Amino acid sequence: MKKIPFLKTLHHRSVETKYMEDRAAVLGALKDASRRDFLKLSGAALGAALGAGVSLDGYARSFQPITLAAPRGTEPFRIAYISDSHLYAKEVNDRFVRSLLRAVDDVNRMDPQPDFVVYGGDLAQLGQKEELDLGAQILKALKAPVRMMVGEHDWYLDLGGRWRELFGEDRYSFDHKGVHFVVLNSVVEKDFWTARGLSPMERMQTVAGLDNGKQSPFTVGDAQREWLKKDLEKVAPNTPLVVFSHSPLYKLYRKWNFWTDDAEEVQAILSKFDQVVVVHGHTHQVLTNRIGNIHFHGLLSTAWPWPYAPEGLPELTVEMGRPNPFDPSDGCGDGIIRVHPDGLVDKVYNLWNRNPLTVSRSYTSSSGREDRPQAPGLRRF
Amino acid sequence: MSGRLTAVLWIVPFVFLAWSSERGWAQGDAQESEQRRRLHSLGGRDLEFAPRGIDPEIWKALVPSENPLTPARVALGERLYFERKLSRDGSVSCSTCHDVRKGFTDGRLVSEGIGAKLGRRNAPTTLNAALHRDQFWDGRAASLEEQAGMPILNPIEMGQPSRDAVVRTLAGDPDYVRLFKEAYGREPNYTDLERAIASFERTLIFLDSPFDDFLGGKTETLSPDAQEGWRLFNGKGRCVACHRLNASNPLGTDFIYHNIGVAARSRDFEALAHKASGELGSEGASKETLDTLALETDLSELGRFLVTRRRADIGAFKTQQLRNVGITAPYMHDGSLQTLWDVMDHYNKGGEANSYLDGGIEPLALSEKEIDQLVAFLFALTDHRFADLNEAAQRKQEERAHRTRPLRDTDLSLRKVLPFEDRVLERKR
Amino acid sequence: MTNGFTARAFLLLPLLAFSCSSEQAAPSAMMVKLCDNETTAPIPQGRPLTREDAQRLSNELMQKWAAKNPGRDWCADEKEAHALVPPADNSELVGKNPQGQGYGDVTDRDVREWSRETEKMVLMGSKIFHSGDLLGSQIKVSCDMCHPHAANTHPETYPKFQVQMGQTVLLRDMINWCIEHPVRGNVLPADDPKMRALEAYIYAQRKGQPLNYGRR
Repeated sequence: MKKIPFLKTLHHRSVETKYMEDRAAVLGALKDASRRDFLKLSGAALGAALGAGVSLDGYARSFQPITLAAPRGTEPFRIAYISDSHLYAKEVNDRFVRSLLRAVDDVNRMDPQPDFVVYGGDLAQLGQKEELDLGAQILKALKAPVRMMVGEHDWYLDLGGRWRELFGEDRYSFDHKGVHFVVLNSVVEKDFWTARGLSPMERMQTVAGLDNGKQSPFTVGDAQREWLKKDLEKVAPNTPLVVFSHSPLYKLYRKWNFWTDDAEEVQAILSKFDQVVVVHGHTHQVLTNRIGNIHFHGLLSTAWPWPYAPEGLPELTVEMGRPNPFDPSDGCGDGIIRVHPDGLVDKVYNLWNRNPLTVSRSYTSSSGREDRPQAPGLRRF
Repeated sequence: MSGRLTAVLWIVPFVFLAWSSERGWAQGDAQESEQRRRLHSLGGRDLEFAPRGIDPEIWKALVPSENPLTPARVALGERLYFERKLSRDGSVSCSTCHDVRKGFTDGRLVSEGIGAKLGRRNAPTTLNAALHRDQFWDGRAASLEEQAGMPILNPIEMGQPSRDAVVRTLAGDPDYVRLFKEAYGREPNYTDLERAIASFERTLIFLDSPFDDFLGGKTETLSPDAQEGWRLFNGKGRCVACHRLNASNPLGTDFIYHNIGVAARSRDFEALAHKASGELGSEGASKETLDTLALETDLSELGRFLVTRRRADIGAFKTQQLRNVGITAPYMHDGSLQTLWDVMDHYNKGGEANSYLDGGIEPLALSEKEIDQLVAFLFALTDHRFADLNEAAQRKQEERAHRTRPLRDTDLSLRKVLPFEDRVLERKR
Repeated sequence: MTNGFTARAFLLLPLLAFSCSSEQAAPSAMMVKLCDNETTAPIPQGRPLTREDAQRLSNELMQKWAAKNPGRDWCADEKEAHALVPPADNSELVGKNPQGQGYGDVTDRDVREWSRETEKMVLMGSKIFHSGDLLGSQIKVSCDMCHPHAANTHPETYPKFQVQMGQTVLLRDMINWCIEHPVRGNVLPADDPKMRALEAYIYAQRKGQPLNYGRR
């Protein structure tokens, strides 16, 4: 939707001025919307306007200002994302460092800059201090502010010791332009290491193997679910809500821990909202799903692509084409999340050396009937 | 007295022009005959069979059904190839930029057209051009026929105002009328002109090099260095992934387009791509527009993107053939690499970092010896019939490479410094 | 398992040789680690080791493992941990030989021997597949990073024209190409036991897929 040029929030405005501005915003949005958006928007706008007692012919019969839980923006804003860099020390593996540098370069070149950058977890490969420090140093070069999300590769060497020192708490929430953002540590695993007498590095290496079947499944965990419930208590159900999580918060493929074991409980907590967007890392591929009111979007990795799970792929997922092993950055990349005022997102996968792939909000909200992204030629088999 | 003086004064400019301009008619004639002599020394070809070195099944698919090869067509095409009257002022023919004596290219960074106008692209060689899938560095011509007709009409190459103007020139020459009749049974027309030139170009298949002898079993034809170069080509050098070289595809190309960072040395692709989206509009551009953009504007550096508008093609140029590469210097789409050692240095350091760099371009950590071996192999890809040119080129390039290696960057090639590192962390080296 | 620890230890020895690592636990003791990457035992110091030492070490490691995993079977566990696709079941051949052909004489023990040997090779392949160190990777990359459970390896499509290599190749050629480039490790000779094990593992994981040579 196009920018509405003149709106500014004045602190001391008369009720009538505010009404005129709000009405102009609604009508301006109607004018600029595409036909599909128009039909949706005009329904919503009509509802809002009528609910507020405003008549669209500009003739105010009774007047009630529209109130929301938080002041909501009128235009979409952009977040950039970089995820799953799996850094080793530079002397050990230069390739992963080079890829993260490329992603930072991509984001720094964005014009205009995004509102902030979200990092999708797995900054380090084996959770070592030198790996996390290297990642932190590279991400410092980003011009926009960064919000960090933790992954299992960051966590299981020292159970978050260095992570907290560098980046703060592993779960938190914040508001931005009327959208409530929650960041979870969704890679909590039941203790499988004490009974086996594993050293920290042995524990980390076990977790680092995707297919070894020795680690516990990811969970959000009881304590964190309680925290989430409390945090969301004060958020109105019509508030746009975006959840950042490393594990997908649904159950895709158990054998590769593309899985959150308490997904149903988490989804239940989120069920009170009109719509929720979950943005998750870990899967290193184009992945789209929708369960009820929750729209799930996966992040690309900068380090390497995963193949698609042999079973359980969500219907909505249009796969990315099979990567070329000659090009270590094929199937990798970074991207942009365009957050709309209603909280739904367009997810732009900036696949390196391919056309960008956009999974638009009309695609997920129409459950795949509209705006289907292009299927690839070279598919998995 | 004054009459004779006037006569002298009239003659002087002509003589001056003839001396000073390479394009003067007298000079032009001399060069043309020299080129023709060289061409005929290369030997004729039996049109009945596929050329040597190419799989006959593949060759059959390469000759279009509406333009089969006949001696008359080849003769007409040859004549047209050297015909300077095809240019607006009679100074430029195909052979000007695709000179038989210079490996069918012109040895310049970028080619020079009429009125000494410079383009922006290096002239690819006509040798084996028939085996490429499409023509030009950005593939904007889908066939040899299409390509043959475009420089004639390009304002800075041969400068003809229209196809009709060209046809009129040819129709006015009884020789050409006869030749066209013999070749195509019709009056001279532009389509047949393109077809004839393409037919001639289809006889320029040169796949008979020391490397081919080596593959045929005569291992002594390739020096040990060149043999090691061939192994590196398929191994550590990673060349084969794009420069495919096998019995069904002897050319040394994958026929697709890659951004290896050559133009990124001096260009900001991001800004150019933005600009291009505006200028090209949503419906795409005509052939003439593409031609102009490719040769005259800075958008030229976007390469294949101008044709396909795909992001993967920003700054991407054709994987050129490696056949006869020894004699077709300078290299790359802008002729910016003078010697094969420069080419090696460019790849060895992982190209030039830019947001659209083909990810398969990586630092290779090749040692000096390995580079020499790869270069030795590449020089072994030149056809025997150009052995003299090849030797001279090898000496010249070696001498230059000993003097200067402007692109060599050992730190990058050994991965001591990473691409993007300096840019992102804002360091100067 | 009727033969107890000795048999299991015998099974272990070649595995030990391949993949167990020695670590300095303390300046005075050197430890050897079992292939489960967890169980360790100290190596006697100060003298050359004998075969008896090796046997004792294997027994000790096995005992420690059994203590940690009461009631479990090492072999079954390993197979489960590696998600091993079992080889074809030949047991329907047991005791059936109406034509009295010597070649057709199959017993239970035969069936067990065949499957055990095949599984061992496949398991070894899985270990190498999952270990950057065993592959000689200079950048600590292992095959399972891009191919968990050997997904996306498509052994049934070989021989095929492998575009990355510019020619028609077999599975082991592509394995070597991957080792050379994405893994940046040591290219293996075609008859190297590690290469054979890797191929075995990849074929095993794709059991049941129809052959489709040439498929891109």
